[in-house]
Amino acid sequence: MRQANADLDFDDDAPLLDVTDLEVTYRTRSGDLVAVDHIDFTVNENEIFGLVGESGCGKSTVAQAMLGLLPSNGDVSAGSVEFRGIDLTDLEKRELDTLRWEHVSLISQGAMNSLNPVLRISNQIIEAIQAHRDVSKEQARERTAELFEMVGLDPARMDDYPHQFSGGMKQRAYIAMSLALDPDLIVADEPTTALDVIVQDQILKRLKELRDELGISVIIISHDISVIAETCNRLGVMYSGKLMEYGDLRDIFANPYNPYTLGLQNAFPTLRGDQSDLISIPGSPPDIAALPDGCRFRERCPFATMECDTEHPPLEEVAEDHYSACYHHEKVETMRTDAQRRRTWEALREGGAATTRAATAEDADD
Amino acid sequence: MSGETTTSVKQRDRETKQGWSRFVQNLKRSAIEQGRIFMRSKMAVAGLLIILFYVVLALISPYIAPYEPYERIYMADGGWAKLQPPSAANPLGTTEAAHDVLSQLLLGSRIAVFVGLLGAFMVAAIGTTLGIVAGYYGGWVDEVVMRVVDILYGLPFIPFVIVLVTVLGASVWNIILGIALLYWLSTARVIRSEVLSLRERPYVEAARAAGASDFRIMGVHILPNVIPLSALYAAIAVGYSIVAQASIAFLGFGDPSIPSWGVMLQRAFVTQAFGVAWWWVIPPGLSITLIVTGAYLVGRGYEEVVNPQLQQKE
Amino acid sequence: MMFASLLTVITILFFLFRQVPGGPMSAIVSPRMNEAARQAVIEQYGLNEPLWKQYVFYMWNVFHLDFGQSFYYGQSVYSLIADRFLNTMSLMLTALVISYSVGTFLGAQLGWLRGTTKERAGMLVVLLIRSTPVFWTGMIVLYLFAFQLNIFPLGGMRGMQASYTTNAEKFLSVDFLYHLVLPVFTLCTFYTGLPLLLMRNNLLEVLSEDYIKTARAKGLTERRILFRHAARNAILPVVTAFAIAIGFAVGGQVLIEQVYSWPGLGREMVQASLRSDYPLAQGAFMLLSVIVITMNFFADLTYSYLDPRVRLGGN
Repeated sequence: MRQANADLDFDDDAPLLDVTDLEVTYRTRSGDLVAVDHIDFTVNENEIFGLVGESGCGKSTVAQAMLGLLPSNGDVSAGSVEFRGIDLTDLEKRELDTLRWEHVSLISQGAMNSLNPVLRISNQIIEAIQAHRDVSKEQARERTAELFEMVGLDPARMDDYPHQFSGGMKQRAYIAMSLALDPDLIVADEPTTALDVIVQDQILKRLKELRDELGISVIIISHDISVIAETCNRLGVMYSGKLMEYGDLRDIFANPYNPYTLGLQNAFPTLRGDQSDLISIPGSPPDIAALPDGCRFRERCPFATMECDTEHPPLEEVAEDHYSACYHHEKVETMRTDAQRRRTWEALREGGAATTRAATAEDADD
Repeated sequence: MSGETTTSVKQRDRETKQGWSRFVQNLKRSAIEQGRIFMRSKMAVAGLLIILFYVVLALISPYIAPYEPYERIYMADGGWAKLQPPSAANPLGTTEAAHDVLSQLLLGSRIAVFVGLLGAFMVAAIGTTLGIVAGYYGGWVDEVVMRVVDILYGLPFIPFVIVLVTVLGASVWNIILGIALLYWLSTARVIRSEVLSLRERPYVEAARAAGASDFRIMGVHILPNVIPLSALYAAIAVGYSIVAQASIAFLGFGDPSIPSWGVMLQRAFVTQAFGVAWWWVIPPGLSITLIVTGAYLVGRGYEEVVNPQLQQKE
Repeated sequence: MMFASLLTVITILFFLFRQVPGGPMSAIVSPRMNEAARQAVIEQYGLNEPLWKQYVFYMWNVFHLDFGQSFYYGQSVYSLIADRFLNTMSLMLTALVISYSVGTFLGAQLGWLRGTTKERAGMLVVLLIRSTPVFWTGMIVLYLFAFQLNIFPLGGMRGMQASYTTNAEKFLSVDFLYHLVLPVFTLCTFYTGLPLLLMRNNLLEVLSEDYIKTARAKGLTERRILFRHAARNAILPVVTAFAIAIGFAVGGQVLIEQVYSWPGLGREMVQASLRSDYPLAQGAFMLLSVIVITMNFFADLTYSYLDPRVRLGGN
């Protein structure tokens, strides 16, 4: 029953995943929309990498593009996604199928509907196994039982149907399925959305265990920065199709350089620690069909100046394994302090950047 | 009712009138909007043109038909012009009883259009009303209506109409009665589903909180939103009604004195002449096919443009 | 539920047939009966009793499968309709099985090919066929293949010389199959449209579901995704629709029996009605209704079998 069997030439020296200059375009009735606008990032072995951003920033599109799962009107229009040196965007279906699940697997958003409702869970996992390995059904079943135990599910229930599992159990079953072939990389697209906090915690812990015990790398895509903070070694902050800040997570959290990151940190409660008042970033991301000139974040940034009107800033290295896209890195200390004040962001609602600077100047005297 | 001053009575009358005029306005606005949407679909417009063609034909056929439908055509030697192939005198030939096929065909359009439009209207009216009532009130009203629907699905349509006609007599009205009794089921189900979600909308809640009567809510708030769906099912019902009438007539239960395409085909079949006289068999069948296609195009085309619209409004 | 439907149908018939010209008496008493027979029937149906009693007698008779005597044939209605039953079912079931198999398969293909010219052309063809009245198609088919080309018989269920001892022999004989071809073919043009369109539409919806994305990510072949994942889900509404379509399917059956002079329930009912043979008309209709209700019931069963969410209940 094995069907995927093209021979692939991996480069052992290349990084696990190397995304270079990736551009993804959607063809719509209102024209071509660029959802991912020239992004670069790398994911290494034994690492959990986070991609965080608001809805519509393009992070899910990146995930889909990586596995060749873009909808029919979507295309990778530039750049490459290299898995151990092989460009995934350049493969034929047969070659891509060999790689899928065996080396890179997927945990999709909303396990609600990611499992086929009319097939038994065991059969769905067995199907994944038998599509890539020449094993008997018995052997596949044994492996499935093993996988269930790995994620903390009772193997006696593996013949159940998806609707008989709770949300958290379904997600764990999905994770079990994604581990079936011992992949090197798992792409987890919103793995914990729509799950309650306790289950969320368990799932995230499990993902970390996978990295530590099995050496699997994970890319976690989420709009919830606290999820990312809890699990990742490195991260990329996306906004409106661009990467705003990228690099080592601890360094970014300790010393954030980008105004958007500063705003995001304010807007989410932390998993541990106190619940200080949440400050949200007023406004919403620009319409991809009508992008402004200059920095994409300009309209919502309390620190924007005329300089920000010209072109979207390029990513600059601000520290080791730490990059940020902003024209005002030299003022980062002030930005960090001001960003913690509610007034800084509220002022945007009323007047815009000029008013903000005046307000923050006043506040500095408090 | 005593103790009410004349002014408050007058006020209530005014309010009722305002309510009705607003209802009519809503309907009109909704209709115009739907009309514009309709025009965007090429399929729908094509279908509409076909239907209009037949409507016009139905209206003018008595004036353009070369012969009476049951007028005997004679040959030069005085004998009946039976089963004559198409000629200059009879462009579509003659029947076994020496009648002109073309005239029968033209006049047959009247019944087709009549049954199609009336049947569709009744299906839409009954189905929509019951669907709205069931969906809006819920509870036992809904249960009762849905039970009735389930049970009526157990009645096969054509056999039922045969029984109706057997018992009540062979007339177009009895066929229409059959259509009215049984064709509304699917429409009601679909409209009910739609109403179930519509009644949770904020403006409906607001109206209810403001004390509007059920009747007003159903008529003013729910009905206009449901009309596109009703229109779609009405369009489909046009086709079904025409085929239903033709089928019943074909089986021999139509009124033979009124020329209809179904009756034409029945005569062709019963006289076994269809094995030879293609000019008698093909035109009526083709006409039915064409007008049903037109109705279907109207429905499908309209649905295609309305669906994205409906989704956008969410 | 099935029972309630049946009861209602029988009751409707009871009231309807009382409206026959000549009154309730004419519905049951044959004009050809002698006085003794008349009296017997009047007793049996309580025709001189109050209405509710008549209803009870009627129900009693129906449940004992006594539908009276056919005016025309002089035989018991039951024996007549029992005889025609297999004739109808053999034709209708064959056509349904073929239509639904072919229809769902083609529908899935069309759904898969969405947006291509092949699909548009296919849809146009389907539309035209669906708009064609089935009895007319029957006449055209007969005209072409029987009258003109002489490949198939002109109608009927068996040739002149054929004679059989058992039903099995009759229905499996070459002669029968030979007579079956044209009517089945015609009926299939009528039946196939619905499953085909439904399947195509459902497939479009199903293909945008998350579990299809999962299936792709697993590296499965397109074929497997289509049949094991997509079609398996898309077929559920088709089963539901079947239950609703069966009422119209029987109508098509009646028309085809007429066109092909197929000695089934439908044709018998038509002829009985034209002859004012009320007991036979009533009995045939009742049996047709029973067929619809039963098939409805089986469709519901099939659906719950196919959909584990219904079969096993949720959390």
